[in-house]
Amino acid sequence: MSFKIRWSVLAALITAIGSAGLAAEPIDTAQFEKLHALIKPPESEAFWTTLPWLTSLWEARQQAAAEGKPILLWEMDGHPLGCT
Amino acid sequence: MAGRARAFADARIVKILKTQFVTAACDDWYQRRRQDAEGEFFRRMADQGPRKGAGGSTRQGVYCLTADGAFLAYRPGNVEPEYMLETIEKGLAAWQKLPTERRRPGAVEVGEHGKTDPTYTRDPPEGGLVLRVFTRALDRTTEGYCDSPCDKARGGSSQRDHLWLKEAEWKSLIPSRPVAGQRNAVPTPIARRIFRFHLADSTRGEPNLWASAEVRRAELFAVVECVTAEQVVLRLEGSALLSTDADEQKAGRGYDVALSGIVRYDRQAKKIDRFDVVAVGDHWGEGRYTPGARPGRTPLGVAFDLAPAESTIDRVPPQGAREISAYYRAE
Repeated sequence: MSFKIRWSVLAALITAIGSAGLAAEPIDTAQFEKLHALIKPPESEAFWTTLPWLTSLWEARQQAAAEGKPILLWEMDGHPLGCT
Repeated sequence: MAGRARAFADARIVKILKTQFVTAACDDWYQRRRQDAEGEFFRRMADQGPRKGAGGSTRQGVYCLTADGAFLAYRPGNVEPEYMLETIEKGLAAWQKLPTERRRPGAVEVGEHGKTDPTYTRDPPEGGLVLRVFTRALDRTTEGYCDSPCDKARGGSSQRDHLWLKEAEWKSLIPSRPVAGQRNAVPTPIARRIFRFHLADSTRGEPNLWASAEVRRAELFAVVECVTAEQVVLRLEGSALLSTDADEQKAGRGYDVALSGIVRYDRQAKKIDRFDVVAVGDHWGEGRYTPGARPGRTPLGVAFDLAPAESTIDRVPPQGAREISAYYRAE
Protein backbone atom coordinates (compact mmCIF):
# COMPACT_ATOMS: atom_id res chain seq x y z
CA MET A 1 0.00 0.00 0.00
CA SER A 2 1.46 3.40 -0.96
CA PHE A 3 2.33 5.97 1.72
CA LYS A 4 -0.47 8.27 0.45
CA ILE A 5 -3.11 5.56 0.72
CA ARG A 6 -1.90 4.44 4.16
CA TRP A 7 -2.05 8.04 5.38
CA SER A 8 -5.62 8.47 4.00
CA VAL A 9 -6.74 5.30 5.72
CA LEU A 10 -5.12 6.39 8.97
CA ALA A 11 -6.71 9.85 8.76
CA ALA A 12 -10.14 8.31 8.18
CA LEU A 13 -9.66 5.96 11.09
CA ILE A 14 -8.67 8.77 13.42
CA THR A 15 -11.72 10.78 12.35
CA ALA A 16 -14.02 7.84 12.95
CA ILE A 17 -12.61 7.11 16.39
CA GLY A 18 -12.61 10.79 17.29
CA SER A 19 -16.25 11.34 16.36
CA ALA A 20 -17.52 8.19 18.05
CA GLY A 21 -17.70 9.75 21.52
CA LEU A 22 -18.79 13.29 20.60
CA ALA A 23 -22.19 14.60 21.71
CA ALA A 24 -24.66 15.81 19.09
CA GLU A 25 -23.93 19.25 17.71
CA PRO A 26 -25.75 22.02 19.55
CA ILE A 27 -28.61 23.49 17.57
CA ASP A 28 -27.73 26.75 15.85
CA THR A 29 -30.20 29.36 17.16
CA ALA A 30 -30.35 30.87 13.69
CA GLN A 31 -31.67 27.52 12.41
CA PHE A 32 -34.14 26.94 15.23
CA GLU A 33 -37.30 28.35 13.63
CA LYS A 34 -36.51 26.74 10.29
CA LEU A 35 -35.91 23.35 11.87
CA HIS A 36 -39.06 23.59 13.97
CA ALA A 37 -41.14 24.33 10.87
CA LEU A 38 -39.38 21.58 8.86
CA ILE A 39 -40.19 18.85 11.38
CA LYS A 40 -43.83 19.84 11.84
CA PRO A 41 -46.23 18.58 9.17
CA PRO A 42 -47.27 20.97 6.41
CA GLU A 43 -50.98 21.29 5.63
CA SER A 44 -50.75 18.65 2.93
CA GLU A 45 -49.61 16.06 5.49
CA ALA A 46 -52.14 17.08 8.10
CA PHE A 47 -55.37 17.45 6.12
CA TRP A 48 -56.75 14.34 7.84
CA THR A 49 -56.78 16.29 11.10
CA THR A 50 -59.48 18.56 9.70
CA LEU A 51 -62.07 15.76 9.62
CA PRO A 52 -64.42 15.90 12.64
CA TRP A 53 -62.86 12.98 14.54
CA LEU A 54 -64.35 11.94 17.84
CA THR A 55 -62.02 10.14 20.24
CA SER A 56 -64.83 8.53 22.18
CA LEU A 57 -66.70 5.65 20.56
CA TRP A 58 -69.59 6.24 22.95
CA GLU A 59 -69.93 9.87 21.84
CA ALA A 60 -69.78 8.65 18.24
CA ARG A 61 -72.66 6.28 18.98
CA GLN A 62 -74.72 9.10 20.46
CA GLN A 63 -74.07 11.40 17.52
CA ALA A 64 -74.67 8.67 14.95
CA ALA A 65 -77.95 7.70 16.61
CA ALA A 66 -79.11 11.33 16.69
CA GLU A 67 -78.16 11.97 13.07
CA GLY A 68 -79.18 8.65 11.57
CA LYS A 69 -75.70 7.82 10.24
CA PRO A 70 -73.28 4.91 10.39
CA ILE A 71 -69.96 5.21 12.20
CA LEU A 72 -66.52 4.89 10.67
CA LEU A 73 -64.25 3.72 13.47
CA TRP A 74 -60.53 3.87 12.83
CA GLU A 75 -58.98 1.70 15.49
CA MET A 76 -55.26 0.98 15.57
CA ASP A 77 -52.65 -0.21 18.05
CA GLY A 78 -51.14 3.13 18.78
CA HIS A 79 -53.74 5.85 18.43
CA PRO A 80 -54.46 6.54 14.74
CA LEU A 81 -54.54 10.27 15.48
CA GLY A 82 -51.25 9.99 17.36
CA CYS A 83 -48.45 7.50 17.45
CA THR A 84 -49.28 4.58 15.23
CA MET B 1 -48.09 7.73 8.85
CA ALA B 2 -48.14 8.54 5.16
CA GLY B 3 -51.18 6.36 4.41
CA ARG B 4 -53.49 8.38 6.64
CA ALA B 5 -52.33 11.59 5.00
CA ARG B 6 -53.16 10.18 1.55
CA ALA B 7 -56.46 8.51 2.45
CA PHE B 8 -57.90 11.50 4.23
CA ALA B 9 -56.74 13.99 1.66
CA ASP B 10 -58.63 12.09 -1.04
CA ALA B 11 -61.56 14.32 -1.98
CA ARG B 12 -63.93 11.39 -2.59
CA ILE B 13 -63.27 9.91 0.84
CA VAL B 14 -63.45 13.25 2.65
CA LYS B 15 -66.80 14.07 1.02
CA ILE B 16 -68.38 10.75 1.97
CA LEU B 17 -67.06 10.82 5.52
CA LYS B 18 -68.10 14.41 6.18
CA THR B 19 -71.62 13.96 4.86
CA GLN B 20 -72.57 10.35 5.49
CA PHE B 21 -70.62 9.09 8.48
CA VAL B 22 -69.74 9.95 12.04
CA THR B 23 -65.97 9.51 12.32
CA ALA B 24 -64.24 8.17 15.40
CA ALA B 25 -60.67 7.10 16.12
CA CYS B 26 -59.49 5.04 19.09
CA ASP B 27 -56.42 3.20 20.34
CA ASP B 28 -57.12 -0.52 20.29
CA TRP B 29 -54.66 -1.10 23.12
CA TYR B 30 -57.18 0.53 25.46
CA GLN B 31 -60.41 -0.41 23.70
CA ARG B 32 -59.88 -4.17 23.67
CA ARG B 33 -59.00 -4.18 27.36
CA ARG B 34 -61.35 -1.74 29.02
CA GLN B 35 -63.99 -3.30 31.25
CA ASP B 36 -66.85 -0.86 30.90
CA ALA B 37 -69.81 -0.19 28.62
CA GLU B 38 -67.69 1.19 25.77
CA GLY B 39 -65.25 -1.71 25.86
CA GLU B 40 -68.04 -4.26 25.94
CA PHE B 41 -69.83 -2.56 23.08
CA PHE B 42 -66.68 -2.41 20.96
CA ARG B 43 -65.73 -6.05 21.51
CA ARG B 44 -69.27 -7.25 20.82
CA MET B 45 -69.29 -5.33 17.54
CA ALA B 46 -65.73 -6.30 16.51
CA ASP B 47 -66.41 -9.97 17.19
CA GLN B 48 -68.90 -9.91 14.32
CA GLY B 49 -65.93 -9.28 12.02
CA PRO B 50 -62.83 -11.31 11.25
CA ARG B 51 -60.76 -10.09 14.18
CA LYS B 52 -62.09 -11.67 17.29
CA GLY B 53 -59.19 -10.83 19.55
CA ALA B 54 -58.37 -14.41 20.50
CA GLY B 55 -56.11 -14.47 23.54
CA GLY B 56 -56.40 -10.71 23.95
CA SER B 57 -54.84 -10.02 20.56
CA THR B 58 -55.42 -6.89 18.58
CA ARG B 59 -58.72 -6.03 17.00
CA GLN B 60 -57.25 -3.09 15.12
CA GLY B 61 -58.60 -2.02 11.77
CA VAL B 62 -61.12 0.23 10.09
CA TYR B 63 -64.73 -0.60 10.98
CA CYS B 64 -68.06 0.59 9.69
CA LEU B 65 -70.78 0.00 12.25
CA THR B 66 -74.17 1.22 13.42
CA ALA B 67 -74.89 3.12 16.62
CA ASP B 68 -76.57 0.02 18.04
CA GLY B 69 -73.56 -2.18 17.31
CA ALA B 70 -74.21 -3.92 14.00
CA PHE B 71 -71.03 -4.64 12.04
CA LEU B 72 -71.16 -3.29 8.48
CA ALA B 73 -67.64 -3.56 7.01
CA TYR B 74 -64.02 -3.97 7.98
CA ARG B 75 -60.52 -3.47 6.61
CA PRO B 76 -57.31 -4.39 8.46
CA GLY B 77 -55.29 -1.21 9.08
CA ASN B 78 -54.24 -0.40 5.52
CA VAL B 79 -55.62 3.08 4.95
CA GLU B 80 -54.32 3.63 1.44
CA PRO B 81 -57.00 5.61 -0.42
CA GLU B 82 -58.29 2.86 -2.68
CA TYR B 83 -58.75 0.45 0.23
CA MET B 84 -60.34 3.07 2.44
CA LEU B 85 -62.77 4.03 -0.30
CA GLU B 86 -63.69 0.41 -0.92
CA THR B 87 -64.33 -0.14 2.79
CA ILE B 88 -66.53 2.90 3.32
CA GLU B 89 -68.50 2.19 0.15
CA LYS B 90 -69.06 -1.36 1.36
CA GLY B 91 -70.09 -0.07 4.78
CA LEU B 92 -72.46 2.44 3.24
CA ALA B 93 -74.03 -0.22 1.05
CA ALA B 94 -74.61 -2.47 4.07
CA TRP B 95 -76.07 0.50 5.99
CA GLN B 96 -78.47 1.32 3.20
CA LYS B 97 -79.76 -2.26 3.14
CA LEU B 98 -80.96 -1.88 6.73
CA PRO B 99 -84.67 -1.08 7.21
CA THR B 100 -85.43 2.63 6.86
CA GLU B 101 -86.95 2.84 10.32
CA ARG B 102 -83.69 1.62 11.82
CA ARG B 103 -81.67 4.26 9.99
CA ARG B 104 -83.70 7.36 10.68
CA PRO B 105 -82.39 10.01 13.12
CA GLY B 106 -83.43 9.13 16.66
CA ALA B 107 -84.39 5.54 15.83
CA VAL B 108 -81.66 4.26 18.12
CA GLU B 109 -81.28 5.52 21.65
CA VAL B 110 -77.85 5.59 23.21
CA GLY B 111 -77.86 6.46 26.89
CA GLU B 112 -75.09 7.85 29.01
CA HIS B 113 -71.98 5.74 29.33
CA GLY B 114 -71.83 5.42 33.08
CA LYS B 115 -68.67 4.55 34.94
CA THR B 116 -65.54 4.27 32.80
CA ASP B 117 -62.73 1.84 33.52
CA PRO B 118 -60.06 4.06 35.09
CA THR B 119 -57.30 1.58 34.23
CA TYR B 120 -57.88 2.09 30.51
CA THR B 121 -59.07 5.65 30.15
CA ARG B 122 -56.83 8.69 30.06
CA ASP B 123 -57.56 12.40 30.31
CA PRO B 124 -55.15 15.32 30.03
CA PRO B 125 -54.03 16.58 33.45
CA GLU B 126 -56.32 19.20 34.98
CA GLY B 127 -54.68 22.62 34.64
CA GLY B 128 -51.76 20.97 32.91
CA LEU B 129 -50.02 21.60 29.63
CA VAL B 130 -50.51 19.52 26.49
CA LEU B 131 -47.76 19.72 23.90
CA ARG B 132 -47.86 18.28 20.41
CA VAL B 133 -44.80 16.22 19.52
CA PHE B 134 -43.77 15.69 15.89
CA THR B 135 -41.01 13.36 14.73
CA ARG B 136 -39.50 13.34 11.26
CA ALA B 137 -36.64 11.61 9.48
CA LEU B 138 -34.24 14.25 8.16
CA ASP B 139 -31.23 14.46 5.91
CA ARG B 140 -28.28 16.79 6.05
CA THR B 141 -27.61 19.48 3.48
CA THR B 142 -24.84 22.01 3.16
CA GLU B 143 -27.15 24.55 4.84
CA GLY B 144 -28.44 22.33 7.62
CA TYR B 145 -31.24 19.78 7.37
CA CYS B 146 -34.01 18.86 4.98
CA ASP B 147 -36.92 16.42 4.89
CA SER B 148 -35.59 12.97 4.13
CA PRO B 149 -36.39 11.51 0.73
CA CYS B 150 -36.73 8.10 2.38
CA ASP B 151 -39.56 5.89 1.21
CA LYS B 152 -42.67 7.97 1.79
CA ALA B 153 -44.73 4.91 2.64
CA ARG B 154 -42.38 4.03 5.49
CA GLY B 155 -41.08 6.90 7.48
CA GLY B 156 -41.32 9.82 5.11
CA SER B 157 -43.91 11.88 6.98
CA SER B 158 -44.10 13.57 10.34
CA GLN B 159 -45.31 11.32 13.15
CA ARG B 160 -47.38 12.67 16.04
CA ASP B 161 -47.61 12.24 19.77
CA HIS B 162 -48.39 14.36 22.82
CA LEU B 163 -46.48 15.33 25.95
CA TRP B 164 -48.48 15.91 29.13
CA LEU B 165 -47.18 18.12 31.93
CA LYS B 166 -49.09 18.43 35.17
CA GLU B 167 -49.93 21.90 36.45
CA ALA B 168 -47.34 21.81 39.24
CA GLU B 169 -44.72 20.62 36.75
CA TRP B 170 -45.03 23.37 34.17
CA LYS B 171 -45.26 25.96 36.92
CA SER B 172 -42.01 24.64 38.36
CA LEU B 173 -40.25 25.69 35.15
CA ILE B 174 -40.73 29.37 35.93
CA PRO B 175 -38.35 30.74 38.58
CA SER B 176 -40.17 32.45 41.43
CA ARG B 177 -37.76 35.39 41.12
CA PRO B 178 -36.60 35.32 37.51
CA VAL B 179 -33.43 37.20 36.64
CA ALA B 180 -31.97 37.31 33.15
CA GLY B 181 -29.06 34.92 32.90
CA GLN B 182 -30.25 32.50 35.57
CA ARG B 183 -29.54 28.93 34.52
CA ASN B 184 -31.47 26.14 36.20
CA ALA B 185 -31.74 22.46 35.47
CA VAL B 186 -35.17 21.62 34.07
CA PRO B 187 -36.97 19.72 36.84
CA THR B 188 -36.22 16.02 36.65
CA PRO B 189 -39.76 14.69 35.94
CA ILE B 190 -40.08 16.97 32.91
CA ALA B 191 -36.60 16.30 31.57
CA ARG B 192 -36.77 12.53 32.08
CA ARG B 193 -40.23 12.33 30.53
CA ILE B 194 -38.98 14.11 27.42
CA PHE B 195 -35.86 11.93 27.15
CA ARG B 196 -37.51 8.58 27.85
CA PHE B 197 -40.87 8.93 26.16
CA HIS B 198 -40.59 11.57 23.45
CA LEU B 199 -37.22 11.21 21.74
CA ALA B 200 -37.95 7.98 19.90
CA ASP B 201 -38.11 7.03 16.24
CA SER B 202 -41.83 6.72 15.66
CA THR B 203 -41.68 7.46 11.97
CA ARG B 204 -42.48 3.88 10.91
CA GLY B 205 -44.79 2.73 13.69
CA GLU B 206 -45.11 2.42 17.45
CA PRO B 207 -41.64 3.05 18.82
CA ASN B 208 -39.74 1.31 21.58
CA LEU B 209 -39.50 3.90 24.32
CA TRP B 210 -36.34 4.24 26.38
CA ALA B 211 -35.90 2.41 29.63
CA SER B 212 -34.49 4.46 32.48
CA ALA B 213 -31.08 2.79 32.23
CA GLU B 214 -30.91 3.54 28.51
CA VAL B 215 -30.64 7.25 29.20
CA ARG B 216 -26.84 7.14 29.22
CA ARG B 217 -26.18 10.85 29.34
CA ALA B 218 -28.74 13.65 29.66
CA GLU B 219 -28.96 17.27 30.63
CA LEU B 220 -31.57 19.93 30.06
CA PHE B 221 -31.33 23.50 31.31
CA ALA B 222 -33.66 26.49 31.31
CA VAL B 223 -31.87 29.83 30.93
CA VAL B 224 -33.77 33.02 31.70
CA GLU B 225 -33.38 35.08 28.52
CA CYS B 226 -35.63 38.00 29.24
CA VAL B 227 -37.77 39.31 32.10
CA THR B 228 -40.34 42.09 31.76
CA ALA B 229 -43.47 43.04 33.66
CA GLU B 230 -45.45 41.13 31.04
CA GLN B 231 -43.42 38.00 30.43
CA VAL B 232 -40.57 35.71 31.27
CA VAL B 233 -38.79 34.04 28.37
CA LEU B 234 -36.70 30.94 28.91
CA ARG B 235 -34.29 29.29 26.52
CA LEU B 236 -34.03 25.52 26.88
CA GLU B 237 -30.75 23.85 25.98
CA GLY B 238 -29.61 20.32 26.45
CA SER B 239 -28.45 17.04 25.01
CA ALA B 240 -28.79 13.34 25.58
CA LEU B 241 -27.38 10.02 24.55
CA LEU B 242 -30.02 7.30 24.53
CA SER B 243 -28.82 3.83 23.66
CA THR B 244 -29.67 0.21 24.25
CA ASP B 245 -26.11 -0.57 25.33
CA ALA B 246 -23.78 1.33 27.63
CA ASP B 247 -21.23 1.11 24.84
CA GLU B 248 -22.96 3.10 22.14
CA GLN B 249 -20.77 1.51 19.46
CA LYS B 250 -22.33 -1.82 20.36
CA ALA B 251 -25.87 -0.50 20.83
CA GLY B 252 -28.38 -1.82 18.31
CA ARG B 253 -30.50 1.28 18.72
CA GLY B 254 -29.69 4.75 19.88
CA TYR B 255 -30.19 8.50 19.57
CA ASP B 256 -27.49 11.09 20.12
CA VAL B 257 -29.48 14.29 20.31
CA ALA B 258 -29.25 18.00 21.08
CA LEU B 259 -32.23 20.04 22.26
CA SER B 260 -33.10 23.71 22.07
CA GLY B 261 -36.30 25.49 22.96
CA ILE B 262 -38.19 28.66 23.85
CA VAL B 263 -40.71 28.87 26.67
CA ARG B 264 -42.64 32.09 27.20
CA TYR B 265 -44.64 32.75 30.34
CA ASP B 266 -47.35 35.41 30.37
CA ARG B 267 -47.16 36.95 33.84
CA GLN B 268 -50.56 38.67 33.59
CA ALA B 269 -52.47 35.61 32.41
CA LYS B 270 -50.27 33.34 34.53
CA LYS B 271 -49.86 30.82 31.75
CA ILE B 272 -47.29 29.57 29.29
CA ASP B 273 -48.23 30.79 25.83
CA ARG B 274 -45.28 29.47 23.88
CA PHE B 275 -43.41 26.20 24.28
CA ASP B 276 -41.39 25.43 21.18
CA VAL B 277 -38.63 22.83 21.34
CA VAL B 278 -36.47 21.19 18.70
CA ALA B 279 -34.42 18.05 19.19
CA VAL B 280 -32.14 16.84 16.43
CA GLY B 281 -29.33 14.36 16.15
CA ASP B 282 -28.31 10.99 14.77
CA HIS B 283 -30.55 8.00 15.37
CA TRP B 284 -29.85 4.38 14.53
CA GLY B 285 -31.54 1.02 14.80
CA GLU B 286 -35.04 -0.37 14.76
CA GLY B 287 -37.68 -1.17 17.32
CA ARG B 288 -40.09 -4.09 17.48
CA TYR B 289 -42.73 -2.34 15.38
CA THR B 290 -40.43 -0.03 13.44
CA PRO B 291 -38.47 -2.17 11.00
CA GLY B 292 -36.96 -0.71 7.87
CA ALA B 293 -34.76 1.98 9.43
CA ARG B 294 -32.29 3.70 7.14
CA PRO B 295 -28.88 2.05 7.46
CA GLY B 296 -26.29 3.55 9.76
CA ARG B 297 -26.75 6.73 11.77
CA THR B 298 -29.12 9.23 10.21
CA PRO B 299 -30.64 12.48 11.45
CA LEU B 300 -33.96 12.42 13.25
CA GLY B 301 -35.79 15.56 14.33
CA VAL B 302 -38.43 16.05 17.02
CA ALA B 303 -40.42 19.25 17.43
CA PHE B 304 -42.71 20.25 20.31
CA ASP B 305 -45.32 23.00 20.47
CA LEU B 306 -48.44 23.89 22.44
CA ALA B 307 -51.57 22.03 21.39
CA PRO B 308 -54.52 24.28 20.48
CA ALA B 309 -56.78 24.60 23.51
CA GLU B 310 -60.01 23.28 22.03
CA SER B 311 -58.61 20.59 19.79
CA THR B 312 -60.32 17.20 20.14
CA ILE B 313 -57.55 15.27 18.47
CA ASP B 314 -55.02 16.79 20.82
CA ARG B 315 -56.74 15.06 23.74
CA VAL B 316 -55.15 11.80 22.50
CA PRO B 317 -52.93 10.54 25.31
CA PRO B 318 -49.18 10.16 24.90
CA GLN B 319 -48.02 6.82 23.58
CA GLY B 320 -46.08 6.40 26.81
CA ALA B 321 -49.18 6.98 28.94
CA ARG B 322 -50.29 3.36 28.65
CA GLU B 323 -48.35 2.91 31.88
CA ILE B 324 -49.52 6.22 33.28
CA SER B 325 -47.78 5.98 36.65
CA ALA B 326 -44.44 5.27 35.01
CA TYR B 327 -45.06 8.08 32.52
CA TYR B 328 -45.59 10.67 35.22
CA ARG B 329 -42.87 9.26 37.46
CA ALA B 330 -40.40 9.22 34.51
CA GLU B 331 -37.44 8.27 36.66
